[in-house]
Amino acid sequence: MTGRIAALAAGLLLLAGPYDIALHPTRAAPDARGEARLYAADSPFGVAVTADGRARYEIRINTRGLPRPDSLGAFRAYVAWATTPDLTRWTRLGPVANGRSTVGPVELNKFLLVISAEPDSAPATHSGPTVLHGTSPSGWLQSFLTHPLFRGISQ
Amino acid sequence: MRWTALVLLAGLAAAPPLRAQRSGHEDMPGMAHGDSARSMPIPMPAGMVMMPGLRGLTPAVTPFLPGAGVDPMTLPPARTGSLTRLEDGDTLDLTATLLRRTIHGHAFAMYGFNGQVPGPLIRVSQGATVTVRFHNRIDLPSSVHWHGVRLDNRSDGAVGVTQDPVPPGGDFGYTVRFPDAGVYWYHPHVREDVEQAMGLYGNLMVDPPAPDYWSPANREQALMLSDLLMQADTLIPYGEESPDFALMGRVGNVLLVNGEPGYALRAHRGEVVRFALTNAASSRTFNLSFGGAPIKLLGSDLGRFEREAMVPSVVLAPAERYIVEVRFERPGRYPLVNAVQAINHFRGEFEPEVDTLGMVTVDSIPAEPDLGAGFGRLRSNTAVSQEIEHYRRYFDRPPDKRLTLTVRTAGLPLATVQFMTIDTAYYAPVEWVDGMPDMNWLSTAKQVRWVLRDDATGKENGDIDWHVRQESVVKLRIFNDPRSFHPMQHPIHLHGQRMLVIARDGVPTRNLVWKDTAMVPVGSTVDLLIDASNPGAWMLHCHIAEHLGAGMMAVMYVD
Repeated sequence: MTGRIAALAAGLLLLAGPYDIALHPTRAAPDARGEARLYAADSPFGVAVTADGRARYEIRINTRGLPRPDSLGAFRAYVAWATTPDLTRWTRLGPVANGRSTVGPVELNKFLLVISAEPDSAPATHSGPTVLHGTSPSGWLQSFLTHPLFRGISQ
Repeated sequence: MRWTALVLLAGLAAAPPLRAQRSGHEDMPGMAHGDSARSMPIPMPAGMVMMPGLRGLTPAVTPFLPGAGVDPMTLPPARTGSLTRLEDGDTLDLTATLLRRTIHGHAFAMYGFNGQVPGPLIRVSQGATVTVRFHNRIDLPSSVHWHGVRLDNRSDGAVGVTQDPVPPGGDFGYTVRFPDAGVYWYHPHVREDVEQAMGLYGNLMVDPPAPDYWSPANREQALMLSDLLMQADTLIPYGEESPDFALMGRVGNVLLVNGEPGYALRAHRGEVVRFALTNAASSRTFNLSFGGAPIKLLGSDLGRFEREAMVPSVVLAPAERYIVEVRFERPGRYPLVNAVQAINHFRGEFEPEVDTLGMVTVDSIPAEPDLGAGFGRLRSNTAVSQEIEHYRRYFDRPPDKRLTLTVRTAGLPLATVQFMTIDTAYYAPVEWVDGMPDMNWLSTAKQVRWVLRDDATGKENGDIDWHVRQESVVKLRIFNDPRSFHPMQHPIHLHGQRMLVIARDGVPTRNLVWKDTAMVPVGSTVDLLIDASNPGAWMLHCHIAEHLGAGMMAVMYVD
């Protein structure tokens, strides 16, 4: 059963492609919609990585239905952030508006893509309400430690 | 003549008997259930065990290693590749033989050219033509392919396309002309998964007439990168009839520079060293850096980039070359490292993996001359840009040819199929390490067929029948389909021509260089512009040796 669910989830993800991120709205902006796609950052090589091997991406974000930032409070811009899944490290990627925005680069193995309303377009830290969020495709990596396959049980 | 990989396999089956090490499970169709006490276990990543459903299985091929029955101590020891300067019109005898290599204190019978690993570093002037008399004295059919060189078709060394394999004891003559400056290499084009991995490779340096073609350096080093798969004191055998490790290619656990596990260089303070880097590994993609020393990127397969650039590291897919300069500004030790992010499939996590391939030790004596100022200057190579300008009008036109890269499998172990079915939620653009060595080991070219599929005709691999006119410019779009059983990056190599990587996923390349090998990451689309100037029948294939052995090749005819 676990395998079927995982396979279904995998199939759904692959429909979107291995570089796509679905963005989900929050209660702060329930009508907001969006999706993002990872593009290899500029590099003379076949793939863009850091010296320690982490992939380097720029992110193209398409959003619709974002309300005026000031409708959410004392905010004047939307900003995209990348954060580690444990939310301990945040990197500001750049400003976002309805339509297409290109931000980055991001150099994290797994990350959450967060779009928040902020007092300006280049805040030092993330502080405003999140309006859209999504998970990098690498966030779909699954642990198989307890999977029956590794306990010698065929499906 | 075009079913090269299959011809090779058939040729091997019909070849003179190999003096190969054999274990007890021969001639077993499909997956063999070996005696686990006799079967060869393979090294697993730390903390990972072989999947229970795979235990006791062995690949459906006869294991072999070179020189079975030969005491390695009776073989001559391998020597380091020596510089061989050839002038226009010269002749070189190149002999492939068994020799003895000692890796981590253990002696093995392996292969080499002229008793050397790497083979002789052949240095010629641009425009020269030389004759190479190849003598095959190993226990497999062989040939010599002059990788990246735009030479006459009959001398390409592509067995099944331009020549028959040279049998053990046989000879073959090559006429090699060098129209382009740059760093090239030579290797067999028969069972590369064995012959190249066992030491049959060497560099070719083609010197341009202009002394300032490359920016100045105090000295030059040619580094050929490769790896070997070992378990304790044993080499993991290869498949006699066809490659094993067919899913991912064989990713070694002992990383080598110029055939040795510990590269060492002594340098003076402030010295600028020009490194010519060649990835001669079967499958591994490297991400190299020099302990934080600044790296200036100068060139790649067929010469210089449009613009020199500082880079944090150098990524080399199999068969690619890059020319860089590194300045060692202060005294100290600078490790040459391969740093990647491995994927632990057990835990579903990335794990940093760093291998030290060698060490550059810098003393306090100042380098003479001091090239620091020149190193800090990034040159624009206007001659390169001007030549490429002629091709820019083709950049935005629709592709002339389209290929899709995929894989088909049949008869793999049930546990492998089950795991691959559920582990499809994420594929990294590049598989830097073998995170599933048990499944990979058990996959052979009998069960795995890697595919180049022509989108226009649906034809695959050797059935693809492309004819293009000489002097035409061909835009080839390659898509690496992520929706396959096991998607993986593919370094695609085109023989005998040069090409530009003009876009990746629709994003134009900003700094161009002529290439003969280009990596196509998983899920990516890469646009190549081929300067089809050299007539003949030319192989187009994945340079992961096991993928080529599992069918991933086609032929482009330049008429």
